[in-house]
Amino acid sequence: MIELFNVSVTLGKRPILDHISLKIQKGEFVYLIGKTGAGKTTLLKLIYMDLFPTRGNVIVDKYSSSSISPRHIPYLRRKVGVIFQDFKLLTDRNVFDNVAFALQVIGVPGKKIKPRVLAVLNRVGLTHKRYVMPDKLSGGEQQRVAIARALVNEPFVLLADEPTGNLDPHVSKEILSLLESINRSGTAVVMATHNYDLIRQYPHRTIVLDNGRLYKEIPASQIQGKKK
Amino acid sequence: MKLFFLLKEGLAGFQRARLSATITIVTVTLSLTLIGMFGLIVQNLSHSFQQLYNKIQLEVFIDPSLSSSQVDSLARYLNSLDGVGYVNYITPQHALKEFESDFGDILSVLDANPFPPSFRVVLKGGYRKMNEIESIVRKIEALEEVDEVNYQRNIIRLMNKYFLLGVIITSAVGATIFFISTMLIFNTIRLTIHSRRNLISIMRLVGATRLFIKGPFVVEGILQGLLGSLFACGLLWLGVDIIRTALFPTLHIPLYYYGFLILTGTMLGLIGSYISIGKYLKY
Repeated sequence: MIELFNVSVTLGKRPILDHISLKIQKGEFVYLIGKTGAGKTTLLKLIYMDLFPTRGNVIVDKYSSSSISPRHIPYLRRKVGVIFQDFKLLTDRNVFDNVAFALQVIGVPGKKIKPRVLAVLNRVGLTHKRYVMPDKLSGGEQQRVAIARALVNEPFVLLADEPTGNLDPHVSKEILSLLESINRSGTAVVMATHNYDLIRQYPHRTIVLDNGRLYKEIPASQIQGKKK
Repeated sequence: MKLFFLLKEGLAGFQRARLSATITIVTVTLSLTLIGMFGLIVQNLSHSFQQLYNKIQLEVFIDPSLSSSQVDSLARYLNSLDGVGYVNYITPQHALKEFESDFGDILSVLDANPFPPSFRVVLKGGYRKMNEIESIVRKIEALEEVDEVNYQRNIIRLMNKYFLLGVIITSAVGATIFFISTMLIFNTIRLTIHSRRNLISIMRLVGATRLFIKGPFVVEGILQGLLGSLFACGLLWLGVDIIRTALFPTLHIPLYYYGFLILTGTMLGLIGSYISIGKYLKY
């Protein structure tokens, strides 16, 4: 479903990712960990093809980085949800419109938008705040809106780039619980994080990056659990 | 649906970014007013120039003893000359009447009508150069029936001398104003779009196609250009009206001129937004 074949990315002469090969299965939950600058964000960008490898190949669903044409990239992105540490919400429209926007810009007919947005807001527990503007929401709620926006197109994978980076531990756990429930319903989750505590509380296969190299992979079973 | 979304988002973008939209419209308005004012000056100067040129005519004084058939055949000959547009025969009585209407009674001072019969020879549009005019004059002066040929030699010489210089200077100034205005409008639109790069990045992220991303911004750019140019036309119309009433009653601005400004504003809005948005759409 997602596969990287001997992928390298260099910026100028500086290697950002170096000979990475890995495979993420359908419906899997995978953590990407590593220090700042280890290449986590770059790896996620390769998956939603915001960046292309200097060497090697990235396969996402039926799309290959070596052969995809620019006009097909939007169609790939409709199958890949992305959330960020800074939420990236539109501050000039309310929660409902933020989520609906993701459907409007891909040409979904108006009458189909409302039920889909309400369903996904219900899933993230924000139906009651649908008319609230983003700046009136807490950090955790804003991240839920971002998750709703990423999910409203029913992607097969959700990419999360440090989604709990701006949140306190309690809210971070709530977001992780939400991501796990999303994963249980069949959507794969690839989450870049610094938060090892969370990994111990919610163990899944973990890919450790170091200086752009795949340092090691830790199966979920080898992660020492911690009480949630 | 798609078109509706593009128009709706274009209009909504207008409302959401009121300040930057207003700045763009004001920039378009001022730039096009400047272009319009320059065009207005050039248009009216060249119109006056043209009128002056159209007045270039030769006064051919002829022998008063010619019979009417000789006058007719002379008229035919003058008409047949290369470069001659048309010929008017002016009788001594007519010349006297014209003089009197300008300067008053003359026969009370003089005993007889002093004006000889003459032809007014109006030249064709293409024959305005000194050597062309002189060649026609030479041909006419060579005729036996002709006593004298008068024309505004000095004025024509002056006009010929400065016409090309005038064209070069006005073209250079016009091109500079147009270039600066275009750059100003383009940059303002670019800044407007830059301020909304977050919106663009989200559109890309959720899988909007290039058309869907570009559309609303282009619609917005067109609207801003259109509104700016309409305001510029309004200002210009008002300005022309005031100047005409207060200073120059002959000042005029052709209707197509407004059309040109509206088209320019709209096109600048369209092209400016289309190019600016492209910068954010690598993939």
